[in-house]
Amino acid sequence: MRTISKWCLVAGTAFFLIAGARVSEAQQTIRVGWTIPAEESKYWMMRRPAEFPDLGKTYNIEWTQFQGTAPMTQALAAGALDCATQAPLSLANGVVGGNLKAYIVAQHVYEKPGGFSVYWAVMDNSPIKTIADLKGKTVGISVIGGGTQGPFNMLLKQNGVDPAKDIKLVEVGFAVSEDALRQGRVDAVNMNQPFAARAEAKGGTRKLFSLSQAMPNIVHILEACRADFVDKNPDLVRAYVRDITLGMKKALANREETLKVVSEVLKAPIPVLDTYLLKDNDFGRDPGAAPNFPAIQKMLDIYAETGMLPKMDVAQFKHPTIVAPLQ
Amino acid sequence: MRSRVLFARLAPLLACVGLLAVWQVAALTLNNDSFPTALDSIRAIPSILGDKEALINILASLRRMAIGFGTAVLVSIPLGLLMGRSRSVASFFNPLLMVIYPVPKAALMPIIMLWLGVGDLSKTLVIFLGVSLPVIYHSFEGAKAVEEKMLWSGAAMGLSAVERLVRIVLPAALPEILTGCRTGLVLALITMITSEMIARQSGAGNILFNALDMGQYDTVFAMIIIIGGMGIFLDAAFERMRERLVRWSEPQFDIPLSFS
Repeated sequence: MRTISKWCLVAGTAFFLIAGARVSEAQQTIRVGWTIPAEESKYWMMRRPAEFPDLGKTYNIEWTQFQGTAPMTQALAAGALDCATQAPLSLANGVVGGNLKAYIVAQHVYEKPGGFSVYWAVMDNSPIKTIADLKGKTVGISVIGGGTQGPFNMLLKQNGVDPAKDIKLVEVGFAVSEDALRQGRVDAVNMNQPFAARAEAKGGTRKLFSLSQAMPNIVHILEACRADFVDKNPDLVRAYVRDITLGMKKALANREETLKVVSEVLKAPIPVLDTYLLKDNDFGRDPGAAPNFPAIQKMLDIYAETGMLPKMDVAQFKHPTIVAPLQ
Repeated sequence: MRSRVLFARLAPLLACVGLLAVWQVAALTLNNDSFPTALDSIRAIPSILGDKEALINILASLRRMAIGFGTAVLVSIPLGLLMGRSRSVASFFNPLLMVIYPVPKAALMPIIMLWLGVGDLSKTLVIFLGVSLPVIYHSFEGAKAVEEKMLWSGAAMGLSAVERLVRIVLPAALPEILTGCRTGLVLALITMITSEMIARQSGAGNILFNALDMGQYDTVFAMIIIIGGMGIFLDAAFERMRERLVRWSEPQFDIPLSFS
């Protein structure tokens, strides 16, 4: 009788230990920051979690939406987020100014050759024909000191225009850039999708220059995780990166469903998204969500060259094993 | 006389219609993509209110607002009353409040986010801060205005300091306190939206700021109308409650001191 009760006790303890372990495994949560647009793999994870075998079962994600990548850098540096969407410049700023240590684990979008590249537009009838003609003009940029400014400054300098003295630089968000240009509030302004597609469809504007002239394969947004979090929870982050890889695969394989997913997240009508999303006039996406470290290094070099950052080595952002694509 | 009463009743409605008419004409004149007409914006309202997810988002914001507002009222009224009746409490808290008062509460969001994380707590705290200052100020003014004679009479009748605060100061200051609460309610609505500007997991800000990012201006303005409508409804409901609570303080209820 005593032996039976002893076995029952052992079996009970083992059951609760296993159950407890499973519960704690299931309760493992990553706090992830995201933004809009262009994070299709994460949108798939948010809206179609059943498509991801581990998500919600072996780990959970606490999603928080941010207005741009810079506040996410602050949140990562403060330990309020574990992983987040980042632009190379905001991540580097976090390292320099916020003592942030992070790994780049995946990449969302980049400027593939022949695809969409952020460009500066002028009106069709504008006397501005070359970059040099921008001298003395009012030029709009989405974020002063943001990721596009490094290559923009470099192109201006290469064409004899001092970005600090020769132009009046004003901040104009992408959503209102077309309006600002058509109403003459700016002489040139940067355009991004889906607003570029809308402006092109309406006509009356033309491309002056694009960022791809500064360098090819510009990385716009990537996925970064806090180094201490990755080192402490390698299996958890591995599962997350595996799902980002899978999400990217699904986004590229099924455009029709991706349009629905993105429409649900962005609350934008499918016909608007259909004008550019995952088409030739969209940004490029690596099929395995693999970060292009050499391209990121080149961007860091441009930021250093234009005085926006000190010299930095991209190797500090590279984890030996936890990086997309992970199967 | 009847037409004057009718006009007084219809005045708020006429003001809204007038505003919408001016908006419609201005939008048609400017012909600007980022400034849709009033009719286009109104047409976008049913699709927002008919979307279950949008309603969940709006309710999530209202829940945070209710918690922030409720907590602020519970903390601020006793503090304001104490400040109004005790010079040492007032001189301790006044400099702190003067420092916090002019700071835009939404500007504190990035710092609060670093301390309390990106969840509901930081947003509720921003609402709390937005609401508490006008409520404290009005409670303070209300308590300060209470006549000393009434307190002396209370003390003479054997009321303790706490009893005097609850049974004399609080009712006497109530009209002023409720004026502060009314201001606080509007500020709660404003901070509810601004607290969702930088980081959010759910909320009305999700709809508003996503639409702004995507250039869906009819949705942006529809949300502004919805938020405005919520403000009008909450303010009207609060005003009705206030009228009932402090009816005794209206001039027609004054006891005539003489019949001359």
